[in-house]
Amino acid sequence: MLRLPWQYAAAQIGDRGRRWARRRQGVDPQRLELARRRIYILPTRTGLAYALTVFVLLLGSMNYNNNMGFALTFLLTGIGLVTMHHCHRNLVGLRLDFQGVAPVFAGQQAQFRFIAGNSRTMHRWQIRVAWDRSSPRYVDIGPLSDARFSLPLDAPSRGWMQTPRLAVSTTFPLGLLRAWAWINLDTTALVYPKPADSSPPLDVLSSAQDAGGQQQSGDDEFSGLREFRPGDSPRRVAWKSVARLGTLLVKEYREGGRQPLWIEWNAVAAANTESRLSMLTRLVLDAHRERQAFGLRLPGSAIAPQRGEQHVHQCLRQLATFGQTDDGASQEPSA
Amino acid sequence: MNAAATGDVVRIAWLIGAMLVASAPHFPFVSPWIIALVLSIATWRLFAEQRRWSLPSGWLRIPLALFGLIAVIWTYRRISGVQAGTALLLVMVGLKLLETRAERDQAIVALICFFLLFAAFLREQAIWSVGLLLLGTTFTICALLQSSVRGPPFPPRRSLMHAMVLIAQAIPLMLLLFFLFPRVPGPFWALPAGGGSGITGLSDTVNPGDISSLSRSDAVAFRVRFESAVPEPRERYWRGPVMSFFNGRSWAWRDRGLRPRADAATPGHAATVNYELILEPHGRRWLLALETPVQWDAPRGYLAGGYQLMNQTPIRQRIAYRAGSVTGGINRIDEHPRYLQANTFLPPASNPNSVAMAQRLRRAATSDRAYLMELLRMFRREAFYYTLSPQLLGDNPVDEFLFETRKGFCEHYASAFAVLARAAGIPARLVTGYQGAERNPLADYWIVRQSNAHAWTEVWLDGAWLRFDPTAAVAPERIEYGLEEALPAGERDGIRGLRGNPVLNRLVLSWDAVNAAWNQWVLGFGPEVQRSLLQSLGFTKPSWSDLVAAMMTSCAVFLAALAFMLGRAGVRPVDPVLRQYRRFCNRLANIGRGPQPAEGPSDFARAVIGVRPDLAGDIVAINALYLQLRYEGMTAADRLAEFTERIRRFRPSRRRQPD
Repeated sequence: MLRLPWQYAAAQIGDRGRRWARRRQGVDPQRLELARRRIYILPTRTGLAYALTVFVLLLGSMNYNNNMGFALTFLLTGIGLVTMHHCHRNLVGLRLDFQGVAPVFAGQQAQFRFIAGNSRTMHRWQIRVAWDRSSPRYVDIGPLSDARFSLPLDAPSRGWMQTPRLAVSTTFPLGLLRAWAWINLDTTALVYPKPADSSPPLDVLSSAQDAGGQQQSGDDEFSGLREFRPGDSPRRVAWKSVARLGTLLVKEYREGGRQPLWIEWNAVAAANTESRLSMLTRLVLDAHRERQAFGLRLPGSAIAPQRGEQHVHQCLRQLATFGQTDDGASQEPSA
Repeated sequence: MNAAATGDVVRIAWLIGAMLVASAPHFPFVSPWIIALVLSIATWRLFAEQRRWSLPSGWLRIPLALFGLIAVIWTYRRISGVQAGTALLLVMVGLKLLETRAERDQAIVALICFFLLFAAFLREQAIWSVGLLLLGTTFTICALLQSSVRGPPFPPRRSLMHAMVLIAQAIPLMLLLFFLFPRVPGPFWALPAGGGSGITGLSDTVNPGDISSLSRSDAVAFRVRFESAVPEPRERYWRGPVMSFFNGRSWAWRDRGLRPRADAATPGHAATVNYELILEPHGRRWLLALETPVQWDAPRGYLAGGYQLMNQTPIRQRIAYRAGSVTGGINRIDEHPRYLQANTFLPPASNPNSVAMAQRLRRAATSDRAYLMELLRMFRREAFYYTLSPQLLGDNPVDEFLFETRKGFCEHYASAFAVLARAAGIPARLVTGYQGAERNPLADYWIVRQSNAHAWTEVWLDGAWLRFDPTAAVAPERIEYGLEEALPAGERDGIRGLRGNPVLNRLVLSWDAVNAAWNQWVLGFGPEVQRSLLQSLGFTKPSWSDLVAAMMTSCAVFLAALAFMLGRAGVRPVDPVLRQYRRFCNRLANIGRGPQPAEGPSDFARAVIGVRPDLAGDIVAINALYLQLRYEGMTAADRLAEFTERIRRFRPSRRRQPD
């Protein structure tokens, strides 16, 4: 995008300001209360126009020696000054808890969940929360209450996505001034590779692996009932038997003699690593949808065949961070 | 219609409301087409917003704006000045409404509303304009607020509450700034001419024959507060323009003639009468004063020929000044012979019958004085009537008046008298001004109204100008008791109007007293009053910098108090133990190890010690004290003091200290 010189200068100043604030504040905890010293306030463009209006009115009042004109000018001056306090107060003491973010696929938006808390008996109106250069959310928080909201952030590519700086700001009440605070959460979101639109069907894949494999029915064979154990999926509960016997029973399936499926790095033909990863992601998702146990073997790592959400997540994470250092491990989001 | 669309309608409605409040005071004064334009655009805009019609594009708006500009210039023949400027603002705000979608456009309309309010105050600053100030500001602030709110707009009640709170908190600042902002006298650049905005009052020409009905305006010309004895009713002559130039029909004023020296007070007369005069603006340069002013403190005042008190610039604001005058109707002064000669000039062949009569009477009289007394006797003796609706007069108005109609008001009599004096070779001139005054018993001052306007003559006799008031000869009640007493019964009702009723008159006078106070203390506030206010506050010699310092300090104190109040509002008192513990947690949060949401105090302490064993001593002690104070009901003051002290001294560094 072509930028005019002054826009360029403004962007430079903005970046410098960000770095300065970052040095000044350091990294913020995931749960914080906005302190007075970290809230900045400057007039908006409307505010500058308002100031210019007041100045012209002052000149006019002096020229015409018009005392009602002076009254209007000074009332507007007073409103401007009072607004500054209201705007500032709207942010001071605001609590912000980062609640976590669920993994997404590349190309989707990650939803960062927050709770904004107000420990005062006054309203906080029109709090704008936004990642740098992303679309904002506006929240009103009632007295002594919380507001839950989630903040979207585009996830363009796989891997651990570092969040940009978070800006909490408000121009309430009149839009003349903007009070804001910069928050460096330094949190990350896990972005799975974008699943390919199509990939070799699973059966082809498995037969390619194991020529003597059986035809797959998609569902495993029913093998019997056993007692419910914590962690069993409610979908597997045999509700009819429960109604009859009064105890929780779970249907058990045998894997129908099938060999567990191995999703292999070399099983798909792709031009480059990224498209290969996205095909593998598609395979993982398809296998999961077919409720098939599968394993994942990548160069340098392997995950044993398994089933279930946890397993899928682990595989997808392996794919997401392939070739990257898995530095988000210590910040495992509470999904 | 979806919620967002409804929200936009509400925002536009507030904006239009603010615009209507700010422009309504102008409606009586601007061309009807402007009112029609503004109202129709406002109505159309509301409909357009409701039905989601698309707004006109630039191809339509730019020609419309140009057309509006040309139409304003066409209507007013100018582009500057209050009249044309206001019209232009109204057209602009109307056209701006056609493109207000974004918050920015709405803010611009709101800011134009402030200019419209200011223009309204240029027109009128009466006491009710405070109401306009508050109402207009409230609406415009609401509109600004609504335009800056994202998502659904605020309900009317809530936005009004917000606006009113802001205004209420801003009013103390307004008062501080109003009284302490350094006031500088005078305009910086030329003020646009009044543009015929209809200021009533005296004029610089008098055409007795051209007026068939005199305005009986009750408007206040000026108010007077006497500081010495109040002069007798027959001495209450307020001198305005003195007219020496006569062309046969009309008298004209020129700022000419010798300027009397200020110390040229006529000796042998009563002591000076001292008074303070608060003059309403009339757009001309003359200041009013009791008959013969000898001292005055109007900053730009000077004494012109004919003892006329003048101002260097037109009086466009209400002005107050103190003056001292000599009454008695005699001004002794050294006039230049040429000036005196000019005061005997009559155009040849005008009013021939009057001139002939004057010369005949003068020959019959023994002296100039006897001749003039004979003229007064003639007015008294013969069938002259005082009326405010005389007939129009023709080419020789004095002839027609003296020999045919014989009905007229003060200007007819004064003009005829002066012409008769001049015809006899006696220098004579017409003096216009006011005669009389009405006391307001509720506040000790006197009101002189436009209906007190009067004209009389001054005649040069024995080296002094002597006052002759022929109207007094015809209708002495006019001088002693006022206008209504002098009129025939049929004409009185119009004059008295509301004031005929004693109860209503009392109300009218009360209202006038309120207005007078408003004028004196609020509208009359200027550099001089400001200086005396500061002196009364203890500044012996208030300077500009004192004012700025006082203004800044008081505003800062107010703002600090407000900030404190706002900061406290809504914060619930916190248990002192908890407050200290939070400080402790904050310190740890600052080094990157704050408590997690689900951590109890002991878990938290253990977790921190796990990471930072070097802090273990302090953390264990503080945690133990906290548990005792908070959960074991220990409230001993010394324990709390120890807890506080330990936390005060707890300053964990970012880096781990070597053990």
